[in-house]
Amino acid sequence: MSPRRATAVGLLCGAAVGVGAAALLTGGPHAGGAPLRAARALPALPAPAAEALDIPPPRPLGRQDDVSQWAPVRRVSVARRRPAPRAATVAPLALRTPEGTQNIVRVLGRRAGAGRRVWVHVALAVLPNGSTGWVPRRALGAYEEVATRLVVDTRALRATLYDHGRRVFRARVGIGRDEWPTPHGKFYVRNRLERYSSATYGPLAFGLSARSETLTDWPAGGYVGIHGTDRPDLVPGRISHGCIRLRNSDIRRLGRLMPVGTPVRIR
Amino acid sequence: MSDDFGLDLERLDRDGALAEARAGLSRRAFFVGVAAGTGGVLLYRSADAPAQTAADVDVLNYALVLEYLQSAFYTEAERSKAIKGRAGTAAKKVGAVERAHVKAFKDLLGSRAVKKPQFDFQGVTEEPRAFLKTAVAFEDLAVAAYKGEAPKLQTPAIITSALGIHTVEARHAAWMRYLYGIRPAVNAFDEPSSRAEINKIVRETGFVTSAAQTRSSQAPRYTG
Repeated sequence: MSPRRATAVGLLCGAAVGVGAAALLTGGPHAGGAPLRAARALPALPAPAAEALDIPPPRPLGRQDDVSQWAPVRRVSVARRRPAPRAATVAPLALRTPEGTQNIVRVLGRRAGAGRRVWVHVALAVLPNGSTGWVPRRALGAYEEVATRLVVDTRALRATLYDHGRRVFRARVGIGRDEWPTPHGKFYVRNRLERYSSATYGPLAFGLSARSETLTDWPAGGYVGIHGTDRPDLVPGRISHGCIRLRNSDIRRLGRLMPVGTPVRIR
Repeated sequence: MSDDFGLDLERLDRDGALAEARAGLSRRAFFVGVAAGTGGVLLYRSADAPAQTAADVDVLNYALVLEYLQSAFYTEAERSKAIKGRAGTAAKKVGAVERAHVKAFKDLLGSRAVKKPQFDFQGVTEEPRAFLKTAVAFEDLAVAAYKGEAPKLQTPAIITSALGIHTVEARHAAWMRYLYGIRPAVNAFDEPSSRAEINKIVRETGFVTSAAQTRSSQAPRYTG
């Protein structure tokens, strides 16, 4: 059918429907008005039910720069230099930390390798500080997200916490003496200890992935922590074996704001 | 092209990606905290929300858990940046909608909303083919679940909203099926799935897991 003919047929059909509808509504010469009367006799339809759920517009993820991921280690494995099963080993990946919590790693990226096997690039809690490696995805558990990051300024003796890029906490700190310096670099919070009995560490302690580069024979490997103190008079100062000490009121406040997995930059 | 995708992840998992991912993982009960109770007792009415019966709250929480599952899945896929092209676009769009569904259910349920479970997608959000395969399964699952639960709802306004979401989930299912390379619409009539069937399928994936244990009361041995 040509376009002109199709248009003509369409107009004809439309006109026929229009005439029919008009006849129905007006009662028309042959209808006698019965359909209209019947329609008027019907009870009114109920109004459509209101919606119970107020569904908002789609919610895009938005800015992702402030979000970082971490994951627990679910299977004993090794971190490798490249995302390949036979690549050189960087370090073994333990299930537990020396404090008995689940070992976690900070997620830096991922790549699908041969056979669609997914490899995850992670930051490791081993010496040398700042080490990274690739682990099979199946060695890790559920990803978790944080939008916080802590910056420790060893020159200003100050710790600052950001949440979604906004500063939410600032406090003076004590850091390592010159002979046992607090290591610089990018780390993450591995665990949180509280309700222990040790006044030296105050009421709360966070364990970092950072390790002392001088006190390597310290019990449990010389991991650096962020914790309270029984000597608040020494904060701020260069007074510790490498740990970052806060006054107890400050560490309690930080404990309400900083989740495990938070990236920590010490500079 | 397969005609019968169904709801069964086993049938979906032709190349073994999901089976590999779920090996050895937790079999924890899926819908923890979702009460099975029903009844016509009026439970709750806020200033703006319509009345909800116990049966309504039960179904709404069940739906919320499915929405948690879907929104977490698409959010993780988007965060991974590993799903690119048309699948990546779909992950962003559908994820934004699933997050809106979660917000709507939580707003309506208020303090009665169940908490979000912990999900471990075991890499399927990071590999394009596994992502699409799982997306199809989840969307088909959601469509069948809404259909299975709808007759239990008692409040007309909630039924209207549930139908609105149900059709959106069906569109998502068709979209993901198309991207995966299978027919978007197969049958003349979709079968509903019971809650037991849905729970079994999701439980067997191992995607529902427990939170990592990162706290302890052991005395610190940090360098001090």
